[in-house]
Amino acid sequence: MAAANEMITADAIEATEFMDLSRKYRVTGVPKTIVNETIEIMGGLPEKMFVRQALDLPDEQPT
Amino acid sequence: MGLLSPQDEATLKEHLSVITIPVQLVLFTQAFGATESGDIAKQIVKEIASLNDKITVVEKNFVLDTEDKAKYKIDKAPAIVILSDDIDTRMRMYGAPTGYEFVGLVEAIIVAGTGKIELDPETMKWIQAVDKPTHIQVFSTPT
Repeated sequence: MAAANEMITADAIEATEFMDLSRKYRVTGVPKTIVNETIEIMGGLPEKMFVRQALDLPDEQPT
Repeated sequence: MGLLSPQDEATLKEHLSVITIPVQLVLFTQAFGATESGDIAKQIVKEIASLNDKITVVEKNFVLDTEDKAKYKIDKAPAIVILSDDIDTRMRMYGAPTGYEFVGLVEAIIVAGTGKIELDPETMKWIQAVDKPTHIQVFSTPT
């Protein structure tokens, strides 16, 4: 995502090595994703679902 | 002895052969107060770079190289900043890139080295529409 848009920065963090950060973001399981300090995504998700949640886009409307 | 087996090296070399754009791995480590993960990170990026002459490692000191730290906004070490032809891809790895993190690092290198992002066209549209600073942090463990 970061490579596709220069507004985006993406950090991959080894949770056990940075315990302070893991505690701050209440990382109790992995993967856990935090976007702009506000959005939390638990676990791995399919691509579209992940990007929707990460970018806080509305859910897909059934057609 | 290397961290990668000869067989893993051969497989990785094949994966990395698609790279056409020079990739720089800027590694920030610290000598004091550091865990051994800095040494592991260094060994891993060097082993990867030894497999493809388009990949180079640039070593920085987390304590002393304050200008680079500020430039790449690095606040913890070890850190790996991935550059594509000296341009910041804004992809960073913190901690020793072992296990799943290793796979992520290799994928990030391939994106930086090919300029190709393997995402669904619709997803790409959503990503490219982002117009405000967005900081994504993904926490994982080696296993």
